[in-house]
Amino acid sequence: MKKLTGSFSARALIHLLLLRPFLKLFFGVNVAGKKNLASLDQYIIIANHNSHLDILLLFYILPIKQILTTQPVAAEEYFSKWKVLFKLVNYLFSPIWIVRDREVDDPLRGMREALNSGNSIIIFPEGTRGIPGQIIKFKTGVGRLAMEYRNIPIIPVFISGTEKSFPKKSTIPMPIWNNVTIGPPQMFKGEGQDITSSLEKMIRELSYSETAKRHKRYKQPKPAIAFAVYGIDGSGKSTLSRIVAKKLSNAFRVCLVSDHLEFYENENQKELQPLLTEKVREALGRYAKTAKSLKQYKIPKLAELLLRDHILGEVQRWYTPDIIVQDGCPLINLAAWAKLYREEYFDAEVCARAIRILTGKREAIKKDDPIFKKFHELAALRRFRLDHMRLPDAVIFLDVAPAVSIQRILSRGEQRQVHETEEKLAKLREGYLLVTQVVEKEFNIPARILDGESEIDKLTASAIEFAKESSLREP
Amino acid sequence: MFSEISKVPVILIFLALSLFLLLTKVFKIRIPYKSYIHYLWTFFLIFAASETLSFGIAIWILAVLCFMALREYFTLVDIRMQDRWGILGAYLSIPFMIIFIQFDYYGMFIISIPVYAFLGIPFLVTLGGKEIKGTLLSIGIIDLGLFLLVYCIGHIGYLALSSTWWAIMLILNVAICDLIAILMRKGKNHRWSSVLIQYSVSAPMTIILTLGLSYWTGIPWFHCVFLGILIPLLVAIGRHTIRYIEKDIGISRDQLLPGKGQVIDNLRSFLYAAPVIFHYLRFFSMRSDAF
Repeated sequence: MKKLTGSFSARALIHLLLLRPFLKLFFGVNVAGKKNLASLDQYIIIANHNSHLDILLLFYILPIKQILTTQPVAAEEYFSKWKVLFKLVNYLFSPIWIVRDREVDDPLRGMREALNSGNSIIIFPEGTRGIPGQIIKFKTGVGRLAMEYRNIPIIPVFISGTEKSFPKKSTIPMPIWNNVTIGPPQMFKGEGQDITSSLEKMIRELSYSETAKRHKRYKQPKPAIAFAVYGIDGSGKSTLSRIVAKKLSNAFRVCLVSDHLEFYENENQKELQPLLTEKVREALGRYAKTAKSLKQYKIPKLAELLLRDHILGEVQRWYTPDIIVQDGCPLINLAAWAKLYREEYFDAEVCARAIRILTGKREAIKKDDPIFKKFHELAALRRFRLDHMRLPDAVIFLDVAPAVSIQRILSRGEQRQVHETEEKLAKLREGYLLVTQVVEKEFNIPARILDGESEIDKLTASAIEFAKESSLREP
Repeated sequence: MFSEISKVPVILIFLALSLFLLLTKVFKIRIPYKSYIHYLWTFFLIFAASETLSFGIAIWILAVLCFMALREYFTLVDIRMQDRWGILGAYLSIPFMIIFIQFDYYGMFIISIPVYAFLGIPFLVTLGGKEIKGTLLSIGIIDLGLFLLVYCIGHIGYLALSSTWWAIMLILNVAICDLIAILMRKGKNHRWSSVLIQYSVSAPMTIILTLGLSYWTGIPWFHCVFLGILIPLLVAIGRHTIRYIEKDIGISRDQLLPGKGQVIDNLRSFLYAAPVIFHYLRFFSMRSDAF
């Protein structure tokens, strides 16, 4: 490609007399750091990409003598759809056309030719216009190019406002100010990938300083990820869930819903605004523990579990955590306890149906389903519209032999609850195992069974690893 | 006879301001609050154009000013992608209102934005997309901006149509209040006691100025005194209110560039005063023989 020379031409005049005044008067352009560009002869401009206006704005900031010697990199298949537009763009900017999808021997060839002939180039390393107002991960071509041409300075430029004034998928440009921030010229030494990532970091920093004070609407907080640890009494679930909550709080705001509500940030427990529901639940829980028979135990425990589930909503609303770690999951507890009361009838299919009813999938289960005859409680819950329990996003079942758990309960020196006999705990354990399988298979929720008798450090490590790979993929 | 005499001072003030701005530009003199003088100059450009050329030209300069203010406002607020039709409606409301001022059609001017634009823009916002969340907030944001920065400023135009000198009286009085507020500003904290002191200083000044201008405005002396009391009050209320909006949308006093708060900041004192003074003068001039 021959070098484009000459400072006076029709093309430059169109830029100076038509495009620049139009941008200034219709949209309004603020440029910061113009002197970063002033004294340079050859450079590579790196900018974020939101809109077709970006290229006009980048030509707006160029010194007059550089208009004819600067070439942007553009995707050919996008512009070639309209012949007139293609010709116009070709005339005004003389871009280096890149074919996006086709396998080409070297996509950087055009850019090398331009740089070798002494021209400057403009690259949008994001590759596409992407999501409005967000910077996506940079492609690696920039780094490779910078590695080859270490003597040519790279100028990071951040453009904002175009995502509002002429965003992707819009037909009419709207008069809204655009801001262009030109960063200082950069020379790099390291490897290609390091260069790409440090350029991306630079553009992000420019974007923070530009958008920090901007008006933002109140956004609905993301729903917290619920992560449940359960097992029979004495399996060590409280201990494990507390340690897991503390460990996770390094990176997230974690709320632990255990016998008490606890909130962790950076491994420190924080003071919390007390919740009335929580006080009621604690009192109910204490009352249930003193029950003399299973029948007496049932109703207060059910109420306590319902409240415990209800608290999840309140915790989310008032404390806005990223993660809720549950010590025992009300829904799974309820389902597993069915095994204790109606062992002969309870199987995987019934369990799945019970969970569907409890999570409020009214359409899936009809009113005259036989399950309601066997479990009157379910009918009552449905009747009183208490069937909106939350299924956690990931579950861990802490499996312990009943004999071991009884031993642990005795060693605590507490009064034994009514169901804490070896026979009943064995049944309960079966129930939990069944529910875990159902939850994993029928509801596609990541589940893991951990051996509660192994060491606590090992348990914690595998629980955290599981939490991270299952539910925390995208923080 | 009357109009022949009144032209000269308007043009003189305009020329003086132009010369002042030109000198500061040529000799690169840095003066604080220079941008405010630019906006004063714009107002006097409108008045001078109205007196020498035609009111039609003058009012469209005001339309450009409204456009600039509204453009800056929409740049600073958080808008959703689908509010763009509503914003287009807001921009189109400017010529819709200005045209009625130009042809002296008071009945339509006064309802153009509060009735037609405020009913039309919500409809346009709902046409923009299917997302429901945030609709009310968007409509509120667009409508308030349109009301303050177009409708309220538009009243200055209609006031100038009634009498250029009434509009000049308003602009100069507000400018005096702003000048006193700037001179007496202490620290960054806003205190009601300091607002009260500012008011007690500026009220006598505005009374004297209004009385002095009554030779051209033709406002009877008791109305002059009342206007002199009223204008600083409205300016204080306006400045206070717009300050809250400015802080919310991220306008900082450290970097007042056009597009980053300069236009809104310089117009803020006029926003409350213009409509109230316009209706005050209109009410009494239609009912009183003294005007």
